[in-house]
Amino acid sequence: MSRRLLLLATLVALPLFAAVPRNAAAPILLPVAKDPTVSFRLWFKVGSQNDPAGKEGLAALTAAMLTEAATQKRRYDEILDQLFPLASTYGASASVEMTVISGRTHVDNLADFYPLLRDALLTPAFNQADLDRLRSRTLNFIENQLRFSSDEELGKAVLANEIFAGTRYGHLGAGTVTALKSITVEDVKAFYTAHYTRDNVVIGLGGGYSPALLDQLRADLAKLPAGAPAPVPAPSPPALSGLSVTLVEKPTASTAISVGFPLGVVRGAREWYALAIANSWLGEHRNSSGRLYQVIREQRGLNYGDYTYIEAYPNGGVRMTPPQNVARRSQLFELWIRPVPHEARHFALRAALREVDHLVNHGMTAEQFEERRQFLKKYVLHYAATTGERLGYAIDDAFYGLSEPHLVQFRRLMDELTLAEVNAALKKHWQLGNLKIVAVTQGAAAFADALVADAASPITYASPKPAAVVAADQEISTFPLRIRRAAVKIVPVAELFAQ
Amino acid sequence: MRPLFLALAAVLVTAAGTVAAPPPRVFPYPYEKHTLPNGLTAIFVPMQSPGVVAYYSVVRTGSRDEVEEGKSGFAHFFEHMMFRGTPKYPQAAYEGIVTKIGANTNAYTTDDHTAYHLKIAAEDLPKVIEIEADRFQNLAFSKIVFQTEAGAVYGEYRKSISSPFALLNERLQDLAYDAHTYKHTTIGFERDIMVMAGQFDYSLSFFKRFYRPENVVLVVAGDVEPKATLALIEHHYGSWARGYVAPAITPEPPQQAERTAEVTYPGKTLPILTVAYKGDAFDPDNRDYVAALLLGELAFGETSELRKRLLLREQRVQMLAASIPQNRDQPLFSIYAMIKKPEDIAAIRDEIYKTIEQFKETPVDATRLRDLKRRNKYSFLMGLDTPDAVAAGLARFISLTGDIAVIDRLYAAADAVTAEDLMRAAKKYFVPERRNVIVLKGGQS
Repeated sequence: MSRRLLLLATLVALPLFAAVPRNAAAPILLPVAKDPTVSFRLWFKVGSQNDPAGKEGLAALTAAMLTEAATQKRRYDEILDQLFPLASTYGASASVEMTVISGRTHVDNLADFYPLLRDALLTPAFNQADLDRLRSRTLNFIENQLRFSSDEELGKAVLANEIFAGTRYGHLGAGTVTALKSITVEDVKAFYTAHYTRDNVVIGLGGGYSPALLDQLRADLAKLPAGAPAPVPAPSPPALSGLSVTLVEKPTASTAISVGFPLGVVRGAREWYALAIANSWLGEHRNSSGRLYQVIREQRGLNYGDYTYIEAYPNGGVRMTPPQNVARRSQLFELWIRPVPHEARHFALRAALREVDHLVNHGMTAEQFEERRQFLKKYVLHYAATTGERLGYAIDDAFYGLSEPHLVQFRRLMDELTLAEVNAALKKHWQLGNLKIVAVTQGAAAFADALVADAASPITYASPKPAAVVAADQEISTFPLRIRRAAVKIVPVAELFAQ
Repeated sequence: MRPLFLALAAVLVTAAGTVAAPPPRVFPYPYEKHTLPNGLTAIFVPMQSPGVVAYYSVVRTGSRDEVEEGKSGFAHFFEHMMFRGTPKYPQAAYEGIVTKIGANTNAYTTDDHTAYHLKIAAEDLPKVIEIEADRFQNLAFSKIVFQTEAGAVYGEYRKSISSPFALLNERLQDLAYDAHTYKHTTIGFERDIMVMAGQFDYSLSFFKRFYRPENVVLVVAGDVEPKATLALIEHHYGSWARGYVAPAITPEPPQQAERTAEVTYPGKTLPILTVAYKGDAFDPDNRDYVAALLLGELAFGETSELRKRLLLREQRVQMLAASIPQNRDQPLFSIYAMIKKPEDIAAIRDEIYKTIEQFKETPVDATRLRDLKRRNKYSFLMGLDTPDAVAAGLARFISLTGDIAVIDRLYAAADAVTAEDLMRAAKKYFVPERRNVIVLKGGQS
């Protein structure tokens, strides 16, 4: 306790700047008196959409150069040494439209932690050696990890690129191999100067912090240069025409499939919550109650799981609840079929699309609707368990301009939305005739031929299945997809994200 | 109405501590521990978490217990089967309940334990106790359902094995162990997974032997009222019959000489070097073991001299880290390095050996040791911020000892580690005859 009082006294004694920077957005505050930790989330309105052409990956690399590299006062290894006893760290998350510098520390350690975070933001060193190291790591991520070590993450990355091709969203946040190799220290400095300005940052602060800390943070961020970069227009993803297919050819033991289309509705809109009900019923993330999970995994044992999304959901393979601070103005619908045996790839794709087709054409039933809205009303309680996560949601609320917090609105609308609204929203926004399909597979040419021929894809199992499943299999195996030869392309894995 | 209550072997531990000369409290929450006459233990951790509860059922059985030939991966497979319903609540009924209450529910299997967990609204706790008690006692699934799930498990293996680290660990454990079940990873050998569909009868025996009250610990953390919750647990689990049959796990004979292997990953990756030494089982009273827990971080962690040089200054490795696990039996103390140039593998290996020799002969800097002790405590405290994090954090200790009192003992032991202890531990564990070295290279690199 005495340590904490000492800390507060230290902070109060720090020089305070009375002036609040002009045009600064209001800070997002989440005080939790009994929380023994302080969470920082500093939101800079910059992301991969701001990458200059030919410099894809610059936003992410710049963010890493702030939080995983030297400052003008300390080498990076010295920073690590100082953070070490605090068990605290800070880091950057750069997504399409947002970069959030976040950190968390115990209040006992705040006085030691804060100056390190501050210096990382205000006085980065931008050393060549740090750039070389972080670039090398990113290249390893693209050339080895993403291309080879997780086919499902690879498929999702290709899908996102294809859906937003030709827009500022249309490249991997990590960048491309060619662009990364061209990025210089001067590029990083220029990007930092243009985007890490006092007019382009929103403070997020939560937990057991003191008012003095907020004042200090404001005063420090006021030292960033003024100015805000020109806004980037919201992307207009190209309209899809029919079903188009990208097959990624690589040696692999199974086929990972992702399907999607651009979605013109974002959270805050009443229709979004209507779609959320249907989406949850069809494929709630990592939940066994979803319809796709039941059909593909539970009844047929074809893979480990099958899910759908109405918002971008990066790192879905390693998280159980939605991420924060990946907010964006243009969203996508995404259907994720986890790896299936190659011989079941055509069948599994058909099974999934048949379910979506049935949902859109027939709508949810009253019983399904009732169960699902009850489920979501409580399930979303688990979305923001920690102070940091709640702060993340509050920042996203600000991004989307929500006067009523998203999760509050979510729960309220579960009581207000009607079945008719849900089914109408489905028909309006889920355009199933126009889809992008990505499969990471081996023997892509044969799969392409089968898809174009709309050839029957009968399924066989190692064990008996109930009669109802066998009967449905007959329909699934001939479910028409109507894919044109010209709409299928095969891409060798080594060419992905090259330039 | 509640005669059982009086018969309970209850231990109440408060924040102030009630046991004579206890180690200093590190675990920050008061908790209660109760053991029912049938051996089932329940631990309650009330904490501020308005309206939310984490409910964990920790079964002290994992892939370690897969002693029969050809049954590797079965504990994990069986975890899947636990969601297949009972006569009272068939699968659809169970699913319907957890869906209706908006529970966030899942399970996981490790080498030493299996945990079933739900995050729920506090008002739904009575129903959850009822359905969890029911499935742990009355699980029933058909052969067809069992066989179909075998396909899903194989799908899980396929999606995981595309990682070079998964392949590496599979081969490493196979290389390092001859007799003990740590020879296989938790998901099991592919050859065993492929034939799981034929093991229906074995699955029934697995349930009977391992899913017994004396082998299970419940953890209820968050917005929980212990007295009322205990009464519900007694009511629903009280008639669960004892019957745990401990598996006859063959101890691993001492390794006599270094073992080496090369693995080819079918995709493209930077080479990964693993140097893994036979360690000791978890034991907070084993000073060498506790010192080794610290040694991994000091010698190869984020602020180690070797990592600073190889990763930050010379940029010869993409990654360098050590893993000193906490296990019921003898695990591997492993050092991993992802190396940028294949021709540098031998030199990096020698750098690792050189570092180990230095730690055998040179006392560690007192400030570094003090900093690490402080870091470990804050890291533990900061991680306990939600009911789920608390229950998940306790699960490993429960798996190791059946209890959580060991946490304070472990931190007290770690606090007492000296520079001499570290040198002694380095000399004991990090020797060639305990060593297993694997190099993984990409086939397309």
